[in-house]
Order: sequence, then C-alpha cells, then structure tokens
Amino acid sequence: MSASPVETQKPAKITVKGLRKSFGANEVLKGIDVEIGEGEVVCVIGPSGSGKSTLLRCLNKLEEISAGQVVVDGFDVTDPKIDINEVRRHVGMVFQHFNLFPHMSVAENIMLAPVELKKATKVEARAQAMKLLDRVGLKEKADARPASLSGGQKQRVAIARALAMNPGIMLFDEATSALDPEMVGEVLQVIRDLAAEGMTMVLVTHEMGFAKEIGDRVIFMDAGVVCESGRPDELFGNPQQERTKEFLSKVL
Amino acid sequence: MGMFLVFGGAGAAMAAPTDNGVEGKTFVIGTDTTFAPFEFRENGELTGIDMDLVRAIGEAEGFEVEIRSLGFNAALQALTSNQVDGVIAGMSITDERKQVYDFSEPYFESGIQMAVAKNDDTIKGYEDLKGKTVVAKTGSEGEAYAKSIAGQYGFTVKSLDQSATMYESVKSGSAVAVFDDYPVLAYGVAQNNGLKTVTDKVPGGSYGFAVNKGKNTALLAAFNDGLAKLKADGDYQEILDKYLANPTAAQPTTFLDLLAKSFPALMSGLKNTLLVTIISFAVAMAIGLLAGFMKISHNIVLRGIATTFVNIFRGTPLLLWAFMFYFGLPQLTGQPINIWVAGVLTLSLNSGAYVAEIVRGGIQSVDPGQLEASRSLGLGYGKSMQKVVVPQAFKMMTPSLINQLIIMLKDSSLLLAIGFAELLYQGQQIYAANFRVTETLLIVGVIYFVAVMALTKLANYADRRFNK
Repeated sequence: MSASPVETQKPAKITVKGLRKSFGANEVLKGIDVEIGEGEVVCVIGPSGSGKSTLLRCLNKLEEISAGQVVVDGFDVTDPKIDINEVRRHVGMVFQHFNLFPHMSVAENIMLAPVELKKATKVEARAQAMKLLDRVGLKEKADARPASLSGGQKQRVAIARALAMNPGIMLFDEATSALDPEMVGEVLQVIRDLAAEGMTMVLVTHEMGFAKEIGDRVIFMDAGVVCESGRPDELFGNPQQERTKEFLSKVL
Repeated sequence: MGMFLVFGGAGAAMAAPTDNGVEGKTFVIGTDTTFAPFEFRENGELTGIDMDLVRAIGEAEGFEVEIRSLGFNAALQALTSNQVDGVIAGMSITDERKQVYDFSEPYFESGIQMAVAKNDDTIKGYEDLKGKTVVAKTGSEGEAYAKSIAGQYGFTVKSLDQSATMYESVKSGSAVAVFDDYPVLAYGVAQNNGLKTVTDKVPGGSYGFAVNKGKNTALLAAFNDGLAKLKADGDYQEILDKYLANPTAAQPTTFLDLLAKSFPALMSGLKNTLLVTIISFAVAMAIGLLAGFMKISHNIVLRGIATTFVNIFRGTPLLLWAFMFYFGLPQLTGQPINIWVAGVLTLSLNSGAYVAEIVRGGIQSVDPGQLEASRSLGLGYGKSMQKVVVPQAFKMMTPSLINQLIIMLKDSSLLLAIGFAELLYQGQQIYAANFRVTETLLIVGVIYFVAVMALTKLANYADRRFNK
C-alpha cells in the first residue's frame, strides 16, 4: 500500500495494525498500518474527509476503535481491560479549537491534570506550569483567563497544558487551522522546539511547508487509507501515486 | 420514599390501659380552618367553641390536645388516613358519616339558614331563587339541605370549601345566597361580613366529635365523659355564650389595624413558606442533578428511569401529589406522615423533574471539546465532569435555576390544601375570622412579592459572586 519502505531505526513508539473505524454505516478508516519510532515526527496530510483526524483520535482512543490494533507507548489501547486514562497521561493532545477551560486561569488549565491525578502538589504544579509557560513564552499570562488571549497564545497554552503530564508522545490535530495567519508562526515555533528536543509527534496539518520542514516522514491519506508515505523531500518532490500528485498540485 | 416515613411522627397515639385510657396522652385533633364561631383564628391563635370545648374536656380528663387546622375535608381525610386521632369541626352527625366514623354524644344542636348580600332586596325567600345560583360548603348539612330543595325551587347549588369564600361569592354577585349553619351565619353577620339572614332556621343536625371507626375508643369515651362534666358545672354554657350571645369580638376596624393584628401570623406563615421552599429546593437540586446525569447517561436503563421520573412529575399537577403524599401514602403504608415531609416531597419531586431538564440542557450546552480535552489529559469521566463540564454547565444553568426557585416559592402556597401553615394559608385563616378578604389578600400578595424580589436579588448576587 505504501509506496516507499518505512524506515524506523528506533524502537516503535506507536504501532497501528489493520485499524478500522466506522461511524454507523460510514467507514472512515479502512485498514491503516503505521509504525512510528521514538523521537520521530510524522506529519499526516490529505484532503478533508480522508480520515486523518480520526486516525489521530484513535491513537488515544477519543474514538472507539472498530477493528484492528493500536499500541501506544507499550499500551495496547484496543485491549478492553486497559486503563485508558493511564495511557492518555503518556500522550499529549492539542486540538484545532484549543479547548482551553474558560472557567480557569491559564496556570490552572495547566495545573489541572497534575493536581487532580495526584502527580504534584498545587505548589509543585504551579512551579511546573510557570516553567512550561516560560517555554512557550507566556509566563506573564499565568493568571489571565483564556478569553483574554489571542488565538496563537491560546494554542501555546494548550500545548503547555498537554505537556504538563510529561507525555512521551504529542498529537496535534490541525493545531494551526483555526489561527489567523500572523499567529501561525508563533505556534509552529513551539512545535519546532519540541521536535528539536526529540519529542515523538504526530501532526495532522494543512501547513505543507511546515510538514516538509519539520517532518521526518509524511503520510498522505485519502479515502480512509494511507495512500503514500515517505521522507518529505521524496513525497513532496517525487510523489509516486496519482492521488498524491493530484492533491499536491492543488495545495502547493 | 419509604425512608422518609421514619420521620413522619404525627399523631395516632395508641390507647393503653390506664385509668380512663387517655390520661397524660397527647391527641392530635383535626379541625376546619374557617368555621367561625366554632373554629377561627384571633391574633394568630386558634379559638372558637370547638377549640374551647375540646381543650376544656382535655383538661377535665387529663389529656393534651394538639390542634391541626386543616380545613373541613382535609381534616376528614386526615382522620380516615389516621393522620389525626379525632376531628371536631362543627360536623353534623349523619348516617353516611356514621358508616366510617364513630361519633360522640351531640355537643351542639344546629340548624340551617340562608343569607344574602346586605343590600339585596330581591331575594326574600326560597321562591325568589328560581334560575339563580346559591353556594354551600362542600359536604356540609347546609349543602345537603340546599340540594334537597333545589329542584323544588329551581336553583343551582355550587359547593365551596370555606365560609369566607362563600360569603365573598355572594357579595361579588357570582351567587345570590348562601346556605350555612345558623350560628356561623349569625357570627359572620355580627362581624359585619356584608350579609344578612333572610329565612328562619331549619332545625337540623347535631354536631359531634368523631374518631375513626373502631379506633380511639378511650378518647371518644373521655370526650363524652368530659362533655357531661362541663354541662353539669355550667362551663359548657359559658363557652357557648362567649361566642353566640355576644359575638362582637375585637375585630380590626382600619386597614392599619388589620395589618398590625395579622402581621405576626403572616410572618410565621412567611417563615414556613421560606423554610419549606429552601429545604425542598435543596432536595430538588439533589434529585435534579442525579436525574439530569442519568438522562445523559449511556446506560439505557438509567436513562429510562430518569425520563419516566421527569415525565410523571412534569405531567401531573403539584396539588395531586400533595394530596397523594399526605392522605394517600399513609393509607397505603399504614404509617402517618409528617406534614413537612409530605410538603417537601411534593415540592422537591415536582421541581426535581424540572431541575433534571435544566441540568441535562446545561451539560449538553457545554462544548464537547471541553470533555475531550479533559479526557485527553488522562482525567476520568467523573473527574472531568466535576472539574470541567459541570462548573461551566452550572454557570449556564443558574438563571433557569433561579427561575425554578421562584416558581417553587410561589407554588408552595398550594400546600395550604393539606393544611400546611404557609403564608397564604395564614392569610385564609385571618380572613376566615374577620371576613376582610380583599385587604388580607392584598397584604399577603405584597409579602409574596417582596419575598420573591428579595430572593431574586439574593440569587442574582450569588450568581455574580460565584459565576464570574
């Protein structure tokens, strides 16, 4: 199915085998096989409705999985006996619409999981939140309400929140799609820094230039299957599949 | 529901073999609210021939009396359901009633009279009633008599629950005459109730004290014994004279006088209104939160239970449940129920159904992305609801909940039907004795209005304070 061989020298952090997902009679994922190594940055591209967001949401089981197997950080999330909350602490997720908690301050958004899951006291969590905010350049907004932030600032807070449980994997679901163009850069910079630190990341994105720059690998999805997958320079420079060529000619 | 019954402690003392079987005991006696001069309130205190009599007999026989002023029909239902031990309510002894109750010796010989509005010169006798409507009290001797001659004279009988309402009907012209027991009419006329009597009294029934058939035989015997004693030493005649020979008790003359006299009773009514509302609302919130969450549950059984609960209590009148809990439940369980428990059950289950819908709507109005974000952090469903979804839902629910609280405050007035001493009930008690219906209702209305306004302000303040 995939055009070029998948190269994963490092041990697999995420393994997806024969993943299928249906919403009622509508099958959105029609058998996906993907392996992602530790520290690898994988960008998922494709036309809307191709199933790329659904694939991402299956990785931390925000969607029920219809068939197949998904193993994340050593946890088989398709095992009905698995504690999915435990798995999710290892997987940070960033959403298109930020989904910050509006009734909490910026710092409280970040502190919620560590405090509620008893991983830190309030004081420790606050100190960690300040560190994370510093990392995304928003230390001075710690006590602001999300409503008072710009879109780019909100998304940077959302990234800091997702990092609060020290996840080994980060998932980005069209993290810059809802942003005004001038704010895309600041969010991409944060993601770029994470990549440089060696974080394993899966990004569903429409930013082709960014995918080319940051991705160790790019996956092109269409109609619920992985159509083509390979190194960015290969996939963008010399696509093998007709569907890939057609898509790239429209977006590039 | 069953657990509430444990607290239902009203009434029904058991007869135990002592001297006369009643000494040292306390009996709960039900009575009418509005049957002056037999029972009425003066300055907040229950008084009247029946009250003086039963208290004097209690004293003579060595038992305590706890009066429940319920209204005539409610008192009889309470007796049937053993909510009270006995009833004294200017009640005529009839063959029908003897089927279900045991009566004492008659303590008063009554009779029926007809009265019309003071300024009405057209109705002078029964023959002037053709084609007209008259009023009488539900289940009373007056009603029976009026119905017995209604066909002969061609008039219609409309039954009402209270003397004061009957008199108002005649004064306002919705009926032309009232049939009532003569001492009651005489007392009302003397109080300037705006009526005059136009026919001779028809010798009628005798009043008796009643207990449930086969129950409280010792109490009944003690009543007869005490009555004989009072008659022998002249106390009985003294009580009758106090109310019938010179029935011009000190009634308020001016509006301010009325206000001053009725204020203490109305304030105690307001206190009960507020208390029952607050308790019921707290319970309704608990019920509503539970049922609201059940309604959004993925479990079809839980969802079904909650939906059924909501449909039942939204689909039936509040008043029906008040009767059901206070009169029906005790007959099913054989356990008397405290009126506060019945009142709180009625209000909170009714309101709980509405709160459930408010909760469901509030939670469903929160962006699903909020729950997803919280779950993606590794927080469980319950934690996510508690920390993320419910606080936001609550903020959206607050205006509807305040609205529900205010509806409940006003709806609590319906509990007067089971004799719960709330604000409007106290108002009824007052105008039943002094016949100043409009002014009393006006005062009650203003108190309700002020209470609702104060509550609204308070709730809005709390909303701003906690939901900023």
